[in-house]
Amino acid sequence: MLKGYSYMFPSARTGAALAILCWLGGAWAAWAQIKERFPKPDFQSGYIRPDLQTPAPRSMAWEMADIAVLAAALAAATYLAHRTRSRRSIFLLMIFSLLYFGFFREGCVCPVGSVQNVFLALFTPGYAVPFTVIAFFLLPLAFALLFGRTFCAAVCPLGMMQDVVILKPVRIPGRLADILGAIPYIYLTLTLLFAATGATFLTCRLDPFVGFFRFGATFPLVLFGISMLVLGTVVARPYCRFLCPYGVLLDWMSKLSWRHVKITPGECNNCRLCEDSCPFGAIRTPVLESPPPVGRMEVRRLAMQFLLLPAVVLAAGWAGAELHLVLARMHPVVSLAEEVLAHDAGKSGEVSDPVKAYRASGKPLAELLSEADALQGRFRTGGWLAGGFLGLAFAWKRIHLLVRRKSPWYDLDRGACFSCGRCFSYCPYEKVRLGLIPPDAVPEPPENNNLNGKNHA
Amino acid sequence: MPEDRKTLSVSPGAAPASDSLLQAARRTAVVAAVLAAILSTLMTAHYLQTRSADPLKSQALARLMLQLRDNPEDAALKEQIRALDLLARRAYFLNQWQIRTGSFLLFAFLLVFLASMKIIHSRRLALPDLGREPGGGSYWEEKLLARRYLLLLGTGLGLVAVALGLVSESELKKYGSLSARREPAGPPGATAGPDPVASPKQAASAFPGLEALQQNWPGFRGPDGNGVAYAAGVPAEWDGRSSKNILWKVPVPLPGKNSPVVWGSRLFLSGADKKSEVVFCFDRESGKILWQSELKDIPGAPAEPPRISEDTGYAAPTLAVDGRFVCAVFSTGNVGCFDMDGKRIWARNLGIPDNHYGHASSPLIFEDLLLVPFDQNSGGRLVALRVGDGSPAYEKRREVQISWASPILARTPARPELVLSANPLVAAYDPRTGEELWQVKCMSGEVGPSPAYADGMVFAVNEYARLAAIRLGAKAEMAWEYLEDLSSVSSLLATRDYVFNVASYGAVSCFQAKTGERHWIHDFPNGVYSSPVLAGGLVYMIDINGITHIFKADKTFQPVRSNELGEKTFTVPAFMPGRIYIRAESNLYGIGEKSS
Repeated sequence: MLKGYSYMFPSARTGAALAILCWLGGAWAAWAQIKERFPKPDFQSGYIRPDLQTPAPRSMAWEMADIAVLAAALAAATYLAHRTRSRRSIFLLMIFSLLYFGFFREGCVCPVGSVQNVFLALFTPGYAVPFTVIAFFLLPLAFALLFGRTFCAAVCPLGMMQDVVILKPVRIPGRLADILGAIPYIYLTLTLLFAATGATFLTCRLDPFVGFFRFGATFPLVLFGISMLVLGTVVARPYCRFLCPYGVLLDWMSKLSWRHVKITPGECNNCRLCEDSCPFGAIRTPVLESPPPVGRMEVRRLAMQFLLLPAVVLAAGWAGAELHLVLARMHPVVSLAEEVLAHDAGKSGEVSDPVKAYRASGKPLAELLSEADALQGRFRTGGWLAGGFLGLAFAWKRIHLLVRRKSPWYDLDRGACFSCGRCFSYCPYEKVRLGLIPPDAVPEPPENNNLNGKNHA
Repeated sequence: MPEDRKTLSVSPGAAPASDSLLQAARRTAVVAAVLAAILSTLMTAHYLQTRSADPLKSQALARLMLQLRDNPEDAALKEQIRALDLLARRAYFLNQWQIRTGSFLLFAFLLVFLASMKIIHSRRLALPDLGREPGGGSYWEEKLLARRYLLLLGTGLGLVAVALGLVSESELKKYGSLSARREPAGPPGATAGPDPVASPKQAASAFPGLEALQQNWPGFRGPDGNGVAYAAGVPAEWDGRSSKNILWKVPVPLPGKNSPVVWGSRLFLSGADKKSEVVFCFDRESGKILWQSELKDIPGAPAEPPRISEDTGYAAPTLAVDGRFVCAVFSTGNVGCFDMDGKRIWARNLGIPDNHYGHASSPLIFEDLLLVPFDQNSGGRLVALRVGDGSPAYEKRREVQISWASPILARTPARPELVLSANPLVAAYDPRTGEELWQVKCMSGEVGPSPAYADGMVFAVNEYARLAAIRLGAKAEMAWEYLEDLSSVSSLLATRDYVFNVASYGAVSCFQAKTGERHWIHDFPNGVYSSPVLAGGLVYMIDINGITHIFKADKTFQPVRSNELGEKTFTVPAFMPGRIYIRAESNLYGIGEKSS
């Protein structure tokens, strides 16, 4: 009776749907531009309304309410994923989170951005990170450490934006996913470096969806958001998987999680029904083939990886330090100082607003240059640390790929799994649990998969 | 795939393909997509339309505003502007409403479309192709490839980082190394040699000493800005109407309230209007223009000049010259430096002066620095630029109100001090570093007159404030003050024994420098904006009608004579041996005894 579904929306129709989305996206971008293009009706001053960056501050009561809602949403998501295993309920909670944390709270503070506040506070003695931000930073991580990434399942508004547009996800090949999975590390490193040096909150500035939440953003940001959404129709949640810096931390926590959702509520018989059910590629197929024989060569290679680790970290740190002049330009003070000097030397054209403001302030140039010089020094140190961290991450990832995994059953990649519950309904044992089919109706594994047997997963 | 396997994987509650919900979802998706597409088209068209016809950039409104500038009292015109302005604002808000409503509608259609598509796709199962091997390939081969690609990615990133780091240049670093090279500047007092016009080689190497400065007229009110001429044989008699002792008279191509400066055989002044800012060089023997150089294409220069009063004009600051460079400042905040042959060396903009009358303070060259006072409504600062390349040497923030006074250099026995007068203080700075040496709070109001220095004492004045005498020493302190008939424009003239104060309505008073005793006061018939200059024991003072009153610098008022020029004059003459140069309202005069 389900035969018709497989060709109900063939690829041509999906392509048409994508084209419509692109067209709508273009109109949305135009709308954002229209909104931003008009200055307020002041004909004399030449004042141009600055881009919307942050929502208005909220009262303490609302902040407490936000923490309570976050905690409740995390608890509900965990309960729905682990106990009821209901994708529909998770989806409804997801819609609530999107409306509350996204459109009502205008996407701020979100746990993804909170990592920057925490890092800024760690490296800036004068900056006190608000309690709300600490709570938003820690709660999802704590839940991930206990129960996996249930935050990603139904609470994160950025993830929800992408989740609702998933239409025809394609499978990303394993090797490509492994490589793309390195990007969040780079993004996280830059985010932390810029936050620690007080340069900018990169993740917030490049948040592709905040413009939708606030109904206003710069054209490039709106375009970025639309691109993510359009891409998200075929590559499920691309921002979460291949960009999100907070996702790196959640990944670590989830890998170590105390309890994690499972595909099957009971046992796995390798029926393969769930194999393609995860649009995020978090289901690991059984590995039955024998790995290459462990010879002296391989042992030597692994030992070499470990021995070279310090050298790789140092080399990457040096490369990061070399880049400090480029990175430091992200800091407004350094950028201003360079712009002022370039302008003084007649190298730049029009005077920018920051330069005008600086000129008007009467601040001595020597003071500005001294600040900028000190910041460049901080970036040099930060470059060492950032490069070293990235080197370590890459090297460790390569070592991790050498680790032998042999699993005869379908299971979940704990780090990559969003606990969204999509795979649950594919499992025949879930049907048995729900009383939809009798236990003897569970199908046998296909004959050609060589994956016979049962496992109490 | 066997039918039973598909059945097993259907979501609980999933309906058959032909169910009404699915059909409804399909139809809704189509309708929502069509409506959203229509709305998007309309919004895009609206965007293009409003972009080309921006009500806020109405040319008609701009034209009317221009007309109003010419006829500020035209009530009908004002009414027309108001009506058009109202129309533009209405159009703006209507446009905003359309955008808001359209975007909400579009958002709603998108939501409906997405919801419908989700319903449709929730019925589609992602079932595996059983003909394919589980996992789609060799697990270990995949991992091996991933390791290799990761190595390539990491190495590539590292190389890119190093390459970027190596090729990236920082203006800061360059500035730092340049500053370090500039640190060991030549000692003060090095002379430029006998020829007052330095050669390019000299220009690059040495700055003129005091002797060279005193042989010339290097800035506003002469050497050190003190209003004292060291030239001998200065003419005492001339008549503009009969051309007696008028060696030459030439028109100045552009207006300006700045005074002429002289170095060697060349005389410099500037002129400006709304469109151009020009530095002129005259041959001081013939009055011919040797060169003129327009200051343009300066990064950061405002497209429109700031609003200024006609009394000040666009070129009020007097030039500064030192035999190597001639530097000009304009009301736009533009600063330009030329060599003696008119070649532009550098130019920059200091920011548009926030000045309701127009910027008027003159710069002063000290050794290798061009010192530009920049006391504006937005804050006070003293800007020091390296005269050779215009690079900033230092900037001293001053806690003062706006002022129009120019700096003077007080060469005290201990050190050279740059003295500035503004509301509320008279302050001295180390001209080499900008370090504040002392300050005395004694000024108020809008300070226009520049201070004067003589024999260890600094004098400053402003109308409705005071004439303040400050004795320098271990601590600068007020010696005496005087409160009547004070100057509001004209700068003070001080000698070892006397101080001369010129009120703008023509009352000149003479004080004993050390005690403040007023020796005499004399009312001249016309007002005075120019500043008095001491030359050969005589005080030269030009009133606004161009009459130069000459009297002795003595404790009694002893007039010598009055010379008419026949043209309004607001500037300070330049004094050279046997010559006086006066810039009147429209013409420049060379005055000296004509040889028979």
